Amino acid sequence: MSTFSMDHDPSAPHSMGTTIIGVTYNGGVVLGADSRTSTGMYVANRASDKITQLTDNVYVCRSGSAADSQIVSDYVRYFLNQHTIQLGQPATVKVAANLVRLLSYQNKNMLQTGLIVGGWDKYEGGQIYSVPLGGTILRQPFTIGGSGSSYLYGFFDQAWKEGMSKDEAEKLVVKAVSLAIARDGASGGVIRTVIINAEGVTRNFYSGESLPLWHEEIEPRNSLLDILSSSSPEPMSM
Amino acid sequence: MSIFEYNGSALVAMVGKNCFGIASDRRLGVQLQTIATDFRKIYKIHDKLYIGLSGLATDAQTLYQRLVFRHKLYLLREERNMKPETFASLVSALLYEKRFGPYFCQPVIAGLGDDNKPFICTMDSLGAKELAKDFVVSGSASESLYGACESMYKPDMEPDELFESISQALLASVDRDCLSGWGGHVLLVRGPLKEEWTKSDICSTKNYSMLSDQRIMK
Amino acid sequence: MAKVMADAPQKGGFSFDLCRRNEMLVKKGIQLPGFRKTGTTIVGLIFLDGVILGADTRATEGPIVADKNCEKIHYMAPNIYCCGAGTAADTEAVTDMVSSQLQLHRYSTGRESRVVTALTLLKSHLFSYQGYVSAALVLGGVDVTGPHLHTVYPHGSTDTLPFATMGSGSLAAMAVFESKYKEGLTREEGIQLVCEAICSGIFNDLGSGSNVDVCVITKGKTEYLRNHQLPNPRTYISKRGYSFAKGHTEVLSTKIIPLKVVEVAEADAMEE
Repeated sequence: MSTFSMDHDPSAPHSMGTTIIGVTYNGGVVLGADSRTSTGMYVANRASDKITQLTDNVYVCRSGSAADSQIVSDYVRYFLNQHTIQLGQPATVKVAANLVRLLSYQNKNMLQTGLIVGGWDKYEGGQIYSVPLGGTILRQPFTIGGSGSSYLYGFFDQAWKEGMSKDEAEKLVVKAVSLAIARDGASGGVIRTVIINAEGVTRNFYSGESLPLWHEEIEPRNSLLDILSSSSPEPMSM
Repeated sequence: MSIFEYNGSALVAMVGKNCFGIASDRRLGVQLQTIATDFRKIYKIHDKLYIGLSGLATDAQTLYQRLVFRHKLYLLREERNMKPETFASLVSALLYEKRFGPYFCQPVIAGLGDDNKPFICTMDSLGAKELAKDFVVSGSASESLYGACESMYKPDMEPDELFESISQALLASVDRDCLSGWGGHVLLVRGPLKEEWTKSDICSTKNYSMLSDQRIMK
Repeated sequence: MAKVMADAPQKGGFSFDLCRRNEMLVKKGIQLPGFRKTGTTIVGLIFLDGVILGADTRATEGPIVADKNCEKIHYMAPNIYCCGAGTAADTEAVTDMVSSQLQLHRYSTGRESRVVTALTLLKSHLFSYQGYVSAALVLGGVDVTGPHLHTVYPHGSTDTLPFATMGSGSLAAMAVFESKYKEGLTREEGIQLVCEAICSGIFNDLGSGSNVDVCVITKGKTEYLRNHQLPNPRTYISKRGYSFAKGHTEVLSTKIIPLKVVEVAEADAMEE
């Protein structure tokens, strides 16, 4: 048995029990993430941004230890900036993903972070690379990560289709993250998406109230009085 | 057993009017066995600056040696004594340097600044400074000292009054601690008195020893 | 010779000399001491024209209140302050270290420090010690790019937020912020809300207590309101206190050492 206060350990590492998703579509990629960051059982940040910019055309979704994923993406952003200046043209998604892989692999004993790199370049179009815990790199048409991903594998096997349109892909990502939020206690808050294609980058935001309700979820209410005044279901009959 | 209870100690410093007092007990023990009854825990850095080191005696002595060494280097380089604030920062730095393998010492620092303003401060064994306006305590009797000082301390005490207060607070506290006792050392340092300012320019240090067994309760 | 070398002041960094000895002591069943913690409530929020930071003033050592009125809002730069929770020595050391780096940086660039600079210095130090330097910070300031508020965790991760709380009282304080914070607070509303959040920590969290410190940072102006509120005044002590008659304490021996004052020249001149 435990109480909430006993479970709240502020010295626990600051980590992102997360749902992150990267999906390619016909012409680009869609990245998606929830916004919950927790220390133990406490939600330290309910509106965090787990989709971080690396270059103009490459973004990364972060999961695992917040400190580790921040330091990796900070270093990669720094290296890519240098690389872009030296090269005189934008870095490719492959280079970005390989830098993430390099750091994750070389420091695999120190790091607790899984990352999804997504972006668009003129050579290979939209690409998604998954760099999970040990530092492997996998180019995939779609990938999911974080604690919430366990609830989504079957869903994606069924719902992902080759050659989706931009809107179809984004709808899929938002639906998937909202499904994971409903089942995974470590995921929650709002949904953020980033769409990258030849035209550039679009960021979208879906507030918690706007998300679809799944099995047994109840409508958000502003006041306890709303629940008490409603005739059914009986509020206190637990 | 906590490492602070290996040798046992009680240290307290109080601020009075234009003066300060620093006092310690006199016992050195190894757990419950008493080894010495005239052990010094208050060390002099210079005429107007003293440091009391509670905790593990071996670390206290090592730390004192390093502090004296550093103060002498300062004296050679700067040709002046350290200000108490400076010295406190030095102690803090030396302790924090050993953040992951600390000296088991809780220092109490008391001194008179350039303008003879009293300064007292204490630290934990990692060097986290705690500056106080009234009193500071440390050692295995610190819990009782907190209580005793909290009730016996008054602001702006004259040296004689301060002596009685700090002594009584110490004695009352060590009587409730098995690991410290055998009387105490009290050091009182005061700046020059108003009338003395113009004429003689002395401040004085009073060094008392007392024994709790012979104390008469009134 | 080796001894002398060891004693010579070193340049910086930690020393691990005593680790093996201390480990041996632990194996022998000796308990290592608790360090002074600031079981704390610290908060910060962004208001209309800047940032407000707040902190309680209790420092604890285990169950003992070690300091009833300590300062937890640390100076980083004239336009940046930082609230610290966690091990007192660590918060003190890490903020001091970074504030001196910022000062040197200002000397070399001749520009006002930026909050992100402080943030990066803090997080890279904390990250390199992998959470063993246990400092949880709320960093706030106003620079050329506007007001900024960040939280820094001991492991080196950071968050950027419009309102933030940290320390053992963070839940109590966050409850107040979550229910009452809104965008575009005025200065007075902001201070009021920060005080309310800190008081919620002081009264509902045992690790926090005593008084409320506030720091208001706006463009070009910083106000440190030390002990802005005193919700826990002392009521339990008698006005006269204890007084002991002179000679009440039995004294074994007394030694009086007169001290020469250094400034002899002035005193001599006045004597003549």
